[in-house]
Amino acid sequence: MKNSITAAGLTKNYKTFTLGELNFEIPKGFATALIGSNGAGKTTLLDVLCGIISKSGGEVTYFNGETDATPSVKEKIGYCAAQALFPVEWSTKEIALSCEAAFSNFSREKFAEICAEMDIESELKGKKKPLSKMSDGNKMRVYLASVFARDTELLVLDEPGSNLDPLMRDRLCDRFRQYLDEGDGEKTILFSTHNISDMENAADYVIFMSNGKIVEKGFVEDLKEKYIIVRDDIATYERTKQYLLTKSKNATVYSGLSLAENRNAVEEIGAAAEIPTLQQLSIEILKLYEAKEKERNQA
Amino acid sequence: MKILQNSDIPIYKQISTQFREDIMNGIIPEGEYLPSIRGLARDLKISVITTMKAYEELAAEGLVSAVQGKGYIVNPQDREMIKEQHLRQLEQHLLNALESARIAGVTTEEIIDMIKMLSSID
Repeated sequence: MKNSITAAGLTKNYKTFTLGELNFEIPKGFATALIGSNGAGKTTLLDVLCGIISKSGGEVTYFNGETDATPSVKEKIGYCAAQALFPVEWSTKEIALSCEAAFSNFSREKFAEICAEMDIESELKGKKKPLSKMSDGNKMRVYLASVFARDTELLVLDEPGSNLDPLMRDRLCDRFRQYLDEGDGEKTILFSTHNISDMENAADYVIFMSNGKIVEKGFVEDLKEKYIIVRDDIATYERTKQYLLTKSKNATVYSGLSLAENRNAVEEIGAAAEIPTLQQLSIEILKLYEAKEKERNQA
Repeated sequence: MKILQNSDIPIYKQISTQFREDIMNGIIPEGEYLPSIRGLARDLKISVITTMKAYEELAAEGLVSAVQGKGYIVNPQDREMIKEQHLRQLEQHLLNALESARIAGVTTEEIIDMIKMLSSID
């Protein structure tokens, strides 16, 4: 399998926060979700990968072996930051003009078309509202339209779904799949999120981050075969708890994450084992590593 | 293609099952390509990796083969052999059923009635 980005020993040091060391690949032709709590380092990582901020150490390899976010690499990447991509007094018209000047692969027709699809007044139609007069959700739609209107090889989107309503998130997922389909294995998406629900079916590969580190990664289908969610009446808890990586219980029931290899053991005890959704997996994995981190800090 | 998002059966299994039936029944003839992985994912509103897993399962069974840069092509199917395999499976399931019936004290007539009732449900 080919990769769009390969990172080895990547670090970024701040006075109070350290990202890394990170070793990972972004598989080419797929959508990768970067999942983590607020403050896990997702935005820092995306900024480093897109060359917005410099790295402190390690190596990043792009596309055909470029080792720096050179202008030609940046031209192939459509980066959509979570906020303030353009001056707030700009309307879609100024945005279209500036994108056209900045990127040779920007299409004003496509921009207008995607604005229309996302129910945003394009530069060609309706009143030209400045960004400052738009809701956060509408701003995000404009940002997304500005990157989807370019002919890119890699989309890097920081929290694209967070400010969107469920309907628009669904349309965004459709856009993702359309982008990957049109790329026929050559186009890649990397997006971050702290909430993967209703974007489950748009993620092929996931990287889980906690406190500046990668704690788990893999193709979604493989992770769904690696882990199970165990549930039962509290009566069997004492016998299954040895198999549980995370636990949550009350007086009536309990549940927790376990490895799929324990399926027979817990089922023999009488507990139910189910294949996790990506949302369940995210919560349990982040819970697991945040608990580990707490333990380490106390020690 | 019928896909249930909230089913106990994983989505990739639902896809592979339907293609398997279509290939075995000749609805998708040998030499024909399955829909492209990313095109099918787009149509079904599911992730690419899920479609890929379904196709890889069919490839592992020898029903289709991956052709570099072109997708998955349906292999020539030996219908006699497939039929033979299913008959053998049927026999095994019936033997299991007879064994359960013996333990539960169910007569052969009752079994036949049960089969008739079950097949009329579907």
